[in-house]
Amino acid sequence: MDTELNSSLSLKRYVGFSILSLLGALFVAWLWPREAKTPEERQALAEGRVIITYWDRHTGHEYEARKSLIDEFNRSQNRIYVRTVVIGSRIEKLLTAIAGAAPPDICSMGTSVLAQLALQGCFTPLEDRMKECPYLEEKDFFPHAWKMVCFDGHVWGIITTIDTTCLLWNKNAFRKAGLDPEKPPKTIAELEEYAAKLTIRSAAGIEQYGFVPWQPWDQTFLWGVMFGGKWWDENTGLLTCGSDPAIIRSLAWQQSFSIDPRSNSNPPYAVDPARTSQGRLGGAYQSANNPFYTGKVAMITEGEWQCTFIPKYAPDLDWGVAPVPQPEEVPPICNSQDGVADAIPSGSRHADEAWEFLKWFYSPRPDGRPSPASDYCMLIHNIPPRKEEALQERFIGDPKFGVFVRQLLERPAASFPTIPAAQFLSDIMDEQREQLLYRVVTPEQAAQTIEQATNAETRAAWKLAGRINP
Amino acid sequence: MANKHKFHWVAHLCLLSASVTFVAPFLWMVSTSLKSEARIFPKAGGPPQWIPTADRLDTQGRRIVKVLEGPFAGKQGVELSAHEGERHEILVEGKTIALWPEEFEVEQRLGFQWKNYVAALQKMDFINNLRNTLFICVFCVVGTVISSGLVAYSFARIPWKGRNVVFLCVLATMMIPYQVTLIPLFAVYRSLGWVGTFKPLIIPSFFGVPFYIFLLRQFFMGIPEDMSAAARIDGCSEFGIFLRIIAPLAKPAFATTGLFTFLFEWGDFLNPLIYLQDDRQYTLAIALQQFQSHHESAWGPLMAMSTLITLPIIVLFFLTQRTFIQGITMTGLKG
Amino acid sequence: MTRMERRNLVNGLLFASPYILGFLLFMLYPLAMSFYYSFCQYNVIAKPIWIGWDNYHELFRDSDFTTALYNTLYFTVFSVPLSLAFSIGLALLLNQKVNGMSIYRTIFFLPTIVPVVASAVLWLWVLTPDGGLLNGLLLQFFGIRGPGWIADPAWSKPSLILMNLWTVGTAVVIFLAGLAEVPKELYEVADIDGAGPWGKFRNVTLPLITPTILFNLVMGLIAAFQYFTQVYVMTNGTGSPAKSTLLYALYLYKTSFNYLKMGYASAMAWLLFLVIFAATVLVMVSSKRWVHYHGE
Repeated sequence: MDTELNSSLSLKRYVGFSILSLLGALFVAWLWPREAKTPEERQALAEGRVIITYWDRHTGHEYEARKSLIDEFNRSQNRIYVRTVVIGSRIEKLLTAIAGAAPPDICSMGTSVLAQLALQGCFTPLEDRMKECPYLEEKDFFPHAWKMVCFDGHVWGIITTIDTTCLLWNKNAFRKAGLDPEKPPKTIAELEEYAAKLTIRSAAGIEQYGFVPWQPWDQTFLWGVMFGGKWWDENTGLLTCGSDPAIIRSLAWQQSFSIDPRSNSNPPYAVDPARTSQGRLGGAYQSANNPFYTGKVAMITEGEWQCTFIPKYAPDLDWGVAPVPQPEEVPPICNSQDGVADAIPSGSRHADEAWEFLKWFYSPRPDGRPSPASDYCMLIHNIPPRKEEALQERFIGDPKFGVFVRQLLERPAASFPTIPAAQFLSDIMDEQREQLLYRVVTPEQAAQTIEQATNAETRAAWKLAGRINP
Repeated sequence: MANKHKFHWVAHLCLLSASVTFVAPFLWMVSTSLKSEARIFPKAGGPPQWIPTADRLDTQGRRIVKVLEGPFAGKQGVELSAHEGERHEILVEGKTIALWPEEFEVEQRLGFQWKNYVAALQKMDFINNLRNTLFICVFCVVGTVISSGLVAYSFARIPWKGRNVVFLCVLATMMIPYQVTLIPLFAVYRSLGWVGTFKPLIIPSFFGVPFYIFLLRQFFMGIPEDMSAAARIDGCSEFGIFLRIIAPLAKPAFATTGLFTFLFEWGDFLNPLIYLQDDRQYTLAIALQQFQSHHESAWGPLMAMSTLITLPIIVLFFLTQRTFIQGITMTGLKG
Repeated sequence: MTRMERRNLVNGLLFASPYILGFLLFMLYPLAMSFYYSFCQYNVIAKPIWIGWDNYHELFRDSDFTTALYNTLYFTVFSVPLSLAFSIGLALLLNQKVNGMSIYRTIFFLPTIVPVVASAVLWLWVLTPDGGLLNGLLLQFFGIRGPGWIADPAWSKPSLILMNLWTVGTAVVIFLAGLAEVPKELYEVADIDGAGPWGKFRNVTLPLITPTILFNLVMGLIAAFQYFTQVYVMTNGTGSPAKSTLLYALYLYKTSFNYLKMGYASAMAWLLFLVIFAATVLVMVSSKRWVHYHGE
């Protein structure tokens, strides 16, 4: 079989094969991952700094803001270098890292996640360190913000930003309905009256919704608070909403906004729950097509981030902002459901250096300028959790943003229960509210289910942590 | 024989109408990537705008508008001023009138916003991400094709005791949802010291991937047994049969395996995210995922990034089609 | 054991050794641990507490579990046969040597490679009840007011099935590869025998692609039972409206990663495994009747 033809062929084959292998090897060499460190980090290593990792669950613009401040920290001293990693909103990465004992040195996350993980011993308590810090005492923070990170007698993180909810309304829609655009509804009765006037129906369906209590997403917690109800007992760590008349009243009120198919006297502002659920009114939330921006919904309960969103997505919108209406006899209160906090995981190997950074971040700068944390709040248009910072002109002086801030300064605020079953509670509120609107359950049943199911989960979580109470 | 000539017009109609729905998202993605922010979402639930446009401007940079309502309806004019929350001043037929935004529309011309692509590229470390992604994809393809082929051969062409049990085990591993094995698996990799490297993403492919083992097994079983038998009589080793007889005949299946592996690894963001600990190691899929943040959605650049990430795969698919469409002729097999 | 059998056993194990080794190294521990956790109360961080069969007992009393199981069965029963039939039909159409076919093939494969973020927004617009494309078309061409699609509990699962039909690209490609393995000579023989297109399909094509049909059927089942990503994106992880789209894998995800009830989730996972395993074994056993391996 070895004729000369074959041998010349096989020579060609051999040469071709070698060239291909060489190219392949070069390609692989180009692909081979480089040294993972950035030039700054390598220099920091050369200087003998301690490298600590900071994981941020925010991306995009918020991450950029944080990173610019972290860069400032890295430049301002030469003992520590903070390396930032974006991990995104999917919880799997944080959970596997903590469970797998490969956690970062500092992590930023929502306070409900913090509450869930804190009970399991995932983080190091910070109250002793904070005692040594003049700017991080309990009295410096809004009371509800402080409570968001306290659990089990310890402080598990430092709150970075907080939010609050107000009523937003479309001034043009008010004008067209004959209402004074500068006078928003202040009581529930007024809210219903305005909603009736602002609901515009046509042959094709509803052209403009007056008000939908479950937009832009479930607001059951908000309404319970606004009606003067108490969702839980902080001392026992258990929910008490099942027997709270104000909570039940708020649920019944929400139900009154959905059309009862068996009744022939629905209020004029009642709507179809199926077509008005989250995201189903048409249009993506963060876009020019948001139902409130397009005028599909005339009034809505929203957070302070709209002060950046609306100028960006709907600059032509003429809108107003005021505190959320309440029943007349209920004392003023507001809702500040969630926040973002920084925490030090318990497996961190550089807890001292991590605390150094946190102390720098949350304290006013040495030269008297405001703290980097408040700069961060300004950059991402959230509300700072420290009262002194909230009083800064740049927060309280803005005409629309100031309404949100002032509300927190002037009224007590309620925050979401810091229980290990926080996520469960949020989901079951949403679910029961849906059942309520379809009239599968009564308001009493809904409140009781929420209380019983959540408390069962809470007790199970305590049992797992080896205790019988918080 | 495939109908070269009589491809029924009915079939053409079916294909055409179906392909309109199939190509729509891709077209929308590309079209959105070339639009300015204001045009991406249609007004109040109207149909989306497919062709990217820009405002028509006159020589002085003022927007050209068409009046919709009122005495000047249907006439063209020029916008003199625009303030938030107030009426806009429009110059039409020599007169200046004030109109709300709903009462006029701005004339449009074809306009591509290439700056969305610039913004996308600026926000991500494209070359680095591309290199990391290619690294994972190429090695996974090599590992998967080789190892899955070998294992599939065992299940398809060698009659051995216990074969069906082990094969069932291969299938069974695909039936456990990843959520419950993720954390113990992370613990395994951590104990090996592989967390923070690419190893957990690449090395497992060299041990056979169940999906492709199953796929290749089916294809191998479709090859006539006589061919193997004849080779065995000739004294060929099993490995020789695998390499010289079976593998060449199953080229479409191997091509499919390679293509799908590449595709899946290209778009997988969860596994790289969990095992990589440094941004500089991140892949294109992670970059895309991170681009959608909670408090900001720049749809134009987001779609631009999606398009950039999708185009290479489309090209790859288009070019490699022939490898799994080819018919095979079995020489030496008659009767 | 005869010498032949022994030789085959050695060779078989040798060729299968990569998988066996990989299984022992990477899969055994996670599988064993998740099985163990299903009998424990475990929340990922603290030490698991053994509770025996309690998780399984509670599952059968959990109304969300029954809802999720029902939803998933509904989805699987309708989506798998539909997708299978659709992909076979599409593959046959795309297998022709007609000009421009490569463009068509690429088009039909596009939905599987377009990132979920892009397609989710578009599907949202198509299926929104008020002002969405589908209802708009229905109104315009047929004069009927369309249902609530993804907003309506009665229509949300059919909407999911519709969306899933659209990702048949991978199955189509596998069918194309399977069709490519059918020897051309057999078609020529059938031509000589005077068979028409349907006869050729029934007697030549169909029997020879049964191995591929089996593959797509089994993989379709396994995928449908674990359908997750699309639902998660479309409903924001809630399974709305009114839990009509709470599929098994979604409920499992929420239980494990949102509520940190990993023990309970593990029990769910192993129950699902039993269901899928039973379905697959049934299909594989029945396959002896209708699958023709050319090699046998």
